[in-house]
Amino acid sequence: MSNIEHDEAAIVIIGSGAGGGTLAYELTAKGLPVVVLEAGPYLRNEDYVNDEWEAFNQMAWLDPRTTSGSWRIARDFPNLPAWIVKAVGGTTTHWSGATPRFKAHEFAARSTYGRIDGANLLDWPITLVELAPYYDKAEVAMGSTHVHGRKPLPANNNYTVFANGAERLGYKFYSTGPYATNAEEYDGRPASIQDGFNFQGDKNKSKWSTLVREIPRAEATGLLDLRPESHAVQITHDASGRADAVLYLDKDGNLQRQAARLVAVAANSIETPRLLLQSASPMFPDGLANSSGQVGRNYMRHTTGSLYARFKDPVRMHRGETMAGVIADESRHDPDRGFAGGYFLETISLGPAFLASFSDPGAWGRGFTEILEAYANTAGLWIVGEDLPQESNRVTLNTTLSDKNGLPVPNVHFDDHTNDIAMREHGYAQAELLYEAVGSVGAQRTPPYPSTHNMGTSRMSARSEDGVVDKWGRAHDVPNLFISDGSVFTTSAAANPTLTIVALAIRQAEYIADQLKTGGI
Amino acid sequence: MAFPAKYPQMNATELTDEARSVLIRVIRVAFPHPSFPDAPYERTADTILREAENSTWFRVALTQGLLTLGHLAGGDFRDLNDEDGTKVLRRIETTEFFGFIRRTTVLNLYDNEDVWEILGYEGPSFDKGGYINRGFNDLDWLPEARTETYDGPEQLIEIATNASVAKIRGGENTPAIERDTSNQPGKRDATMMEMTK
Ligand SMILES: Cc1cc2nc3c(=O)[nH]c(=O)nc-3n(C[C@H](O)[C@H](O)[C@H](O)COP(=O)(O)OP(=O)(O)OC[C@H]3O[C@@H](n4cnc5c(N)ncnc54)[C@H](O)[C@@H]3O)c2cc1C
Repeated sequence: MSNIEHDEAAIVIIGSGAGGGTLAYELTAKGLPVVVLEAGPYLRNEDYVNDEWEAFNQMAWLDPRTTSGSWRIARDFPNLPAWIVKAVGGTTTHWSGATPRFKAHEFAARSTYGRIDGANLLDWPITLVELAPYYDKAEVAMGSTHVHGRKPLPANNNYTVFANGAERLGYKFYSTGPYATNAEEYDGRPASIQDGFNFQGDKNKSKWSTLVREIPRAEATGLLDLRPESHAVQITHDASGRADAVLYLDKDGNLQRQAARLVAVAANSIETPRLLLQSASPMFPDGLANSSGQVGRNYMRHTTGSLYARFKDPVRMHRGETMAGVIADESRHDPDRGFAGGYFLETISLGPAFLASFSDPGAWGRGFTEILEAYANTAGLWIVGEDLPQESNRVTLNTTLSDKNGLPVPNVHFDDHTNDIAMREHGYAQAELLYEAVGSVGAQRTPPYPSTHNMGTSRMSARSEDGVVDKWGRAHDVPNLFISDGSVFTTSAAANPTLTIVALAIRQAEYIADQLKTGGI
Repeated sequence: MAFPAKYPQMNATELTDEARSVLIRVIRVAFPHPSFPDAPYERTADTILREAENSTWFRVALTQGLLTLGHLAGGDFRDLNDEDGTKVLRRIETTEFFGFIRRTTVLNLYDNEDVWEILGYEGPSFDKGGYINRGFNDLDWLPEARTETYDGPEQLIEIATNASVAKIRGGENTPAIERDTSNQPGKRDATMMEMTK
């Protein structure tokens, strides 16, 4: 691993997850040395544990955050708005692996859906055609099943219930993927052993993450200076308004300065705007790169919800891949259903510990214990659909509360749009019909978990007044500042976000390398 | 050596064995699992008592709650049957006392092998080679399902043809429900500095 001097103006990437890890690998592979600052520790697959709460406490981002707004999360999990990892590899170590692509019209949500009250809709400055080659690259990198010759994963029990229900309901577009976990050996990593613990890190390395692929490969180039337990607190700039360094706290809590010629922020959609807001200065009084006022706004988390259905016979949903089951039939835009945009249905499974905490927060008594009593006979699915950007859904600095480093904590404000509510209700109803079609005897509508998909807080826009970054993820206001994670999503689309984050990062790396060569940065 | 307490009445905030046994009964009534033996409930009660030791607020709320539960029960809470006990707990479900017990129980009762087996959950599996050869696909009451992408004649229609005439509502938000539903460990207030189980 390389060692870059603190006073050498380097390419500095903040965060090592889907966006940051990918960008680090792509740049080092092109011969460019980079420093990666990662707030979390360097956990390895051997360190992971097959235990829901123990793994959560080992991996998750537990620094305090606050919440406001009418979303249930503010009551149920007031200090845990999002479910995000703080470790090398970021949330790709926690993720499950579903990798659908966006659809063409989802890059043009404003034009397709028209004006919707309360929504801050905008078309992306890029199209599916432009991103398609990078989707190919991302799918190959991640080993997505069902595409590029990758075999589908076999059906596990949860999927068998899900797919039979889908078939009987008349759905056609269901399968065990695309899913970025190996069905057979691929890319130097083994096939899944269906251990059921991929939310807990996947000890077997069958699941793609930047921890198992991009980080080690970047290290192998000899050009990566990876600094775990290094928490970025501010991006500074020079008199011309160019970023010139990143201040960060090292593992002993000492403030360090890394000089920078280019900064790429990939700290996930809560920490990314937090860092930009913490970087306010007399020249950028509302936060770095925030002349549009859109930094922190348009926070999206996808319209989600789960349904856990009970059967007379055993299912044992915990055996096998957590989310290797996708139905795309409802992912279309069909306003006759009463809402704009679409959603996917995907299998999901939780152990009793998480099911107890998340299935019906606040519940107790017999109605609650029946959910757990039925554990062995339960099948589960997750609704994931497009949610609409709203200016008031927003990450801000809560200056009344500081974290252990004395930094203001982020507050996440969220209200569901009526479109989100209508979509969620539709999803629950379809899911109930699906499971009734295969004989369910009861079902639990589970509200959204702390957000696993976080998007939109530094959005891409063609015009600098509408958003924070341009179509390459380059800040409109600061020429050598890039955003490289889901914060740049102009709208959320229905698809799970990670494939798109990775595709954008691969594309951005090409652009950065090219611009550095031609003096464009 | 024990000095007489400066405020002897403060001794009442010590949780007695009797309080512990009331607590165990509260947990069983609130989280009834006929198939669970006593041990998981006792373990959970002890976790609650341990956590109360670390927080003055929970300790006083818990002590006061356990002492006065009998007033609502019209005697000893432990003498009530499940149904009557549930009615008493419904009346206090929004109290900090009950919320603390509920949150801590939800987080701990189900996080232990002693109940997993009864519920049919098999715990850690990596060391056993996962389920690839141990029944990940042993469901036999439904036919085998297709795993590949659909390749029949139909196409997914991404935009419905009626899309342009659609009217989509927007704006107002749904009102928040008032019930305390926090499932987050520890305090609900913003002073919570760390999320630990
Ligand atoms: C349980 C679960 C299941 C999921 N399943 C799916 C799925 O099936 N499909 C899908 O597409 N997506 C899924 N996701 C979402 C997916 O994990 C995220 O979309 C993705 O990882 C986001 O990438 P990112 O680069 O934006 O952020 P992350 O991957 O979260 O990486 C951000 C990194 O930045 C670091 N960081 C933050 N702040 C700082 C700072 N100030 N200084 C230094 N470092 C910092 C963090 O520690 C973290 O490592 C899932 C998520 C969860 C939690």
